[in-house]
Amino acid sequence: MSESNSAISVNNLWQVFGPNPEKIVGSPDAALPRAELREKTGNTAAVRDVSFEVAPGEVFVVMGLSGSGKSTLVRCLTRLIEPTSGSVVMNGEDVLKASDARLRELRRTKFSMVFQNFGLLPHRRVIDNIAFALEVNGVNKEQRHARANEVIELVGLQGFAQAYPEQLSGGMQQRVGLARALAVDPDVMFLDEPFSALDPLIRRDMQSEVMRLHEELGKTMVFITHDLAEALRVGDRIAIMRDGAVVQMGTAEELIANPADDYVADFTRDVPKSHVLTVRTIARPLASDETASGRSVPATTIIRDATAAILDADGPVAVVEGNTTLGFITPRDFLLLVGGGSHG
Amino acid sequence: MIGKKKATAKASVLAAAAALLLSACGGAGVDAEASAAPTDAAEVAACGSYAIAMHAWVGYTASAQVVTEIAKANGCDITQVPLAEAGVTYDAMEAGSIDLVIEDWGGGRWQEWADRGAVVEVGDNGNIGIIGMYVPQWMADEYPDITDSANLNKYADLFVTDESKGKGAWYEGPPGYTTIGEKMISANKLNFTAISTGSEQALIDVFTKAAADKTPAIGYWYTPQNFLAKVPLARIKFPANDWTDPEQASGLTDYPELPLQKLVSPKVIDANDAFTKIVKNFTWTNDDQNAVAADIESGTDPAVAAQKWIDANADIVAGWLQ
Amino acid sequence: MSSTKETMLIAKPKKLKRSWLIAILFAAWVVLARIFQGQSTLVLAVPEDTGVTTWAGNVAAAIRANRSDGASFKYFFNPIREFIDGFVTGIREIIAIPAGDSSIPLLGWLGVIAVIGFVVYAVSHLRMAITAVILVFTCGALGLWTDSMDTLAMTLAAVIMSLLIGIPVGIWAGLSDRALKAVTPILDLAQILPTLVYLAPLALFFLIGPASATIATMVYSIPIAVRLTAFGIRGVPVSPVEAGTSMGTTKIQLLRKIQLPMSSRTIILGINQTVMAALSFVVIAALIGAPGLGKPVIDALIIRDVGGGFVAGIAVVLIAIMLDRSTSAAISIDESFVPAPASARRRRKLGLVSAAVATIICIVLSRQLAWAAYFPEQVNISKPVANVTESSIFWITENFEFLTTGLAKAVTVGILNPLEGVLSNSPWFLTVAMISLLSLILGGLRSAFITLTLLLAIVASGLWFDTMVTFTQTIVATMLTMSIGVVVGVWIGRSNRAERALRPILDAGQTLPAFVYLIPMLGFFGPSRFTGIATGIVYSIPIVVKIVGQGIREVPTNMIEAAISTGSTKWQLITKVQLPAAKKSLLLATNQGLIFVLAVVVIGGLVGAGGLGYLVIVGGSKPELQGKGLIAGFSILLLGLMIDRIAQYTVARNSAPKH
Repeated sequence: MSESNSAISVNNLWQVFGPNPEKIVGSPDAALPRAELREKTGNTAAVRDVSFEVAPGEVFVVMGLSGSGKSTLVRCLTRLIEPTSGSVVMNGEDVLKASDARLRELRRTKFSMVFQNFGLLPHRRVIDNIAFALEVNGVNKEQRHARANEVIELVGLQGFAQAYPEQLSGGMQQRVGLARALAVDPDVMFLDEPFSALDPLIRRDMQSEVMRLHEELGKTMVFITHDLAEALRVGDRIAIMRDGAVVQMGTAEELIANPADDYVADFTRDVPKSHVLTVRTIARPLASDETASGRSVPATTIIRDATAAILDADGPVAVVEGNTTLGFITPRDFLLLVGGGSHG
Repeated sequence: MIGKKKATAKASVLAAAAALLLSACGGAGVDAEASAAPTDAAEVAACGSYAIAMHAWVGYTASAQVVTEIAKANGCDITQVPLAEAGVTYDAMEAGSIDLVIEDWGGGRWQEWADRGAVVEVGDNGNIGIIGMYVPQWMADEYPDITDSANLNKYADLFVTDESKGKGAWYEGPPGYTTIGEKMISANKLNFTAISTGSEQALIDVFTKAAADKTPAIGYWYTPQNFLAKVPLARIKFPANDWTDPEQASGLTDYPELPLQKLVSPKVIDANDAFTKIVKNFTWTNDDQNAVAADIESGTDPAVAAQKWIDANADIVAGWLQ
Repeated sequence: MSSTKETMLIAKPKKLKRSWLIAILFAAWVVLARIFQGQSTLVLAVPEDTGVTTWAGNVAAAIRANRSDGASFKYFFNPIREFIDGFVTGIREIIAIPAGDSSIPLLGWLGVIAVIGFVVYAVSHLRMAITAVILVFTCGALGLWTDSMDTLAMTLAAVIMSLLIGIPVGIWAGLSDRALKAVTPILDLAQILPTLVYLAPLALFFLIGPASATIATMVYSIPIAVRLTAFGIRGVPVSPVEAGTSMGTTKIQLLRKIQLPMSSRTIILGINQTVMAALSFVVIAALIGAPGLGKPVIDALIIRDVGGGFVAGIAVVLIAIMLDRSTSAAISIDESFVPAPASARRRRKLGLVSAAVATIICIVLSRQLAWAAYFPEQVNISKPVANVTESSIFWITENFEFLTTGLAKAVTVGILNPLEGVLSNSPWFLTVAMISLLSLILGGLRSAFITLTLLLAIVASGLWFDTMVTFTQTIVATMLTMSIGVVVGVWIGRSNRAERALRPILDAGQTLPAFVYLIPMLGFFGPSRFTGIATGIVYSIPIVVKIVGQGIREVPTNMIEAAISTGSTKWQLITKVQLPAAKKSLLLATNQGLIFVLAVVVIGGLVGAGGLGYLVIVGGSKPELQGKGLIAGFSILLLGLMIDRIAQYTVARNSAPKH
């Protein structure tokens, strides 16, 4: 993917807290583990040399445990925290070089953010929360309320426009957060652990909501989460962070099929593989004593979705891509994967 | 120039309030009523508004109240402001918040303020102030030589209390009063500890109790003060000294007789109105003051007590207004 | 597991060692003080000066001499004073003193009451408005209408100016770390400084009168406005601020649309605190010419008119309750951001409109008709109130002499005099050494160093003896305060019913100006050191009880449950679990108690307690002792700093994690 046609291009981004952050970047100290770096220089590197590209319309997930630097990373992208060095290019413009005025303009029109604790303004009605970015941009009341009402419909908040945030449930509050982020019709949305504070059932609903909105509106999204299931569910691609650095980046299937190190492997251990991997990953050549059943499934099918086809067949099922047969799967292969899933 | 700033601040406050009020009503009807009513002051030339410092002792109240009543009858607007003696009051006069001290015991402490033009001395008020150290009469009867300061140390043990650190307890006047007790103790080489009593009433309590229970006590007192008529006290004789000589200030042996003075702000002199006349001419005797003070102490409202004296001495008052 | 065991093994002997050290220190101190009794005490008679006080007197004289034509006065102090004087006079002319050529203020009494009722109704609710009206009317019925209005006007003027300065500075300190760092030491100092200390230096520059009283009040109340505003701004949750920033707000928009509305509750609390501070200061500022209720209070202290002073004290209390309740009612109405339903809003609008109409009618009446302009003299309950007060205090002192005099005597002879023997009547170097050593044991090396420096500064000031007199009274009052405060604090910490019953009394106790307490105490105990001590105790008990009670309440439930399940008795529970666990609160309460007591003990100079407070007051009225009075004020500050530093270091040392 070349830089010119990506929505966001992040290059060598660093964020170092401490007495003299500039001196760390590029020095040999930068490679030190976190504790040693602090011991030696008093600095903490929250984001280390992060680079990635996000394609237009893509949902890019940054995943990591708390303290891994993912929240700092997303704040660096929007300059809520000033990064120490690197570049963040959106639509050909380096956000880090923007003047204060230009940065405000970008924030008002080009990108928006959804927060873990919602960040709603308790003293304002739902409609005025949603219209806030338009308000600070000087849009008149009639227009901004008209736009807010559109977005209210979009996220399913009909009838709550006049309510106050404290009168809504957590899930509803985050719908307001989503609506607010959508109100300016941004190019990019940053979602910082948007559903972590919600109950599991509501979390699922909200994930579906985000996927629906993404399908309808096609927004580019950078989605931060610590929940692998969520990452797998909403993400087109996933970057896993640890100690401020990205340890692996790829599609869900790539991460699970080929974890880059023990850390990623540990992470993905509990994921039911049949739910993530495609049949391609377990296709194997036909053994000498086997005869193909004559049935076939496309290579991009998720294993789980091929269950019936595999189990119903009276022999190995072919995995095909176009006209090519990539390999075969037997019910035994399938059961081994499902049964032994937790042992990798 | 300075006045302008004050005016601006005041004007902005009042403008805001007046905006609200004027929409509701015009001028205060109460004023029309007041000026329509016939008063004695009607023919008298206009008199300004003045603030009189009120010191705590009752004799002062008597004098100040008499001036207040006469001034009010002559159309002056009088405010009474309780304040401590001397420095605090002089500073208040310099700030323009006090216009008259009718009985100053400072012994010329005001000179510095007078030099700056903040305070003007307008003569004696006729009272002679004598501060001294007193014992209840029964002590003077029982120990005849005690009234000579040279013999005080002999009796020091009688005066020891919990508060006096093994020496004789020497009850000093309140902090706002003219007191030199510690200077006297050291100058006369006395085996006593000065104890601050905080208030005049406390001294009254001490002496009343000492007289009634025949307990020993030595304390600060002064004339003119009507209290001496109720509880007889004997004054201790100390070696005299020259009060006005600053060289002797650290070796003061006794309080002098002090002609009490009247101090005014320059505003009073400049106005040259009824109030100016009254305060310049006011003078009366210790007996006059004690008479009014006695009434006040017995529970008469000070204004009523003062008016009683004014009515009884109409000719004297008329003389002040000339 | 083994490491905890080790810590316990080490910690226990160490703790034992410290308390032994303190005991040995005290024993040595008492013995040495006894041996050297009365030597090198640096006692200084009231009229005597030292090098430092003479110098201060000369400086003061030079400043006074500069007043008439010095540039600093001409172009700085006098314009400020004139401006404030104009502002204060303007406010007073609305409610308290005749406006311009008129014979009444802009508002007659009926108008004032109506406006107060309307304003309180507008910021809170009807019941509070009625209460406020009754309270203010009672002030009039106590025969103190004009004085009450003057106090109200002075408070209002000082509060308006304090907020105009304090809130912007507070916002700045809330937004900028550097600003906060710059103002924090000043705010901390202001918390330690007893009110009496402000008066003399300010009088030197702004003279005596309503203007300087207002300036002094502002100096006292601005830090409170700053502190709470900054606290409010900093207390706004991060995510709405981030959300606002991420939506491209400018700094002004962020402040106006997010930070200010969301911190409004804390800022209103700050206004409440500022109002109460200003009120309590306006009362004491009568010493430098503030008009209003402080005058009769001070008058009553000087001529010991207990009944009259008590009446004025009641009026202060009524105004304090009115101001406190109505400003805090304004907070509780805002508890939720959701406005009332439309029907209630309509009703309230109707209520406000009709109240406004009634208010305007009252204003008109109060300017047109004499009965509505001048508070009716027939309504006067001051005499009976004064008489009842005087006779009941008389009755108590007569019939319970063994209690009042006995208590005073027991404390004076049993605690005060022996302690004075150790602190002020022993050689100064012994006291300096012993206090520094104590500070070393309690707070560590830094604490000892600071203590030593401050003590030597006091010695250098020449007012060592008087400082130790004041210090002794402060310690005695604090010891008594703590012994009562801890018992009551434990009680309300353990019993919800006690908490509910005492809370209003504690709240009320905290809002009253210290000055007001002096009067009944003077009635009970007469002018003596004990009167100052008793006032200090009464004034500081509420804060001590509150802190201790909260500390006991915050002891984790699982600790208590664990103790109960092992069969502890109630007494064991309190002494072995709750009090040790609330140690930090106890230390904090002691610190606060000391500072509160110091502020009041100093005022005790007015009622015969001697010490530094007496010198401050004498210095105000005797020009030749002004230098000494100023240095006495400075010594109070040094003493307060020393107490605070020792306490802070002790707290820090005790709450530091043990290794």
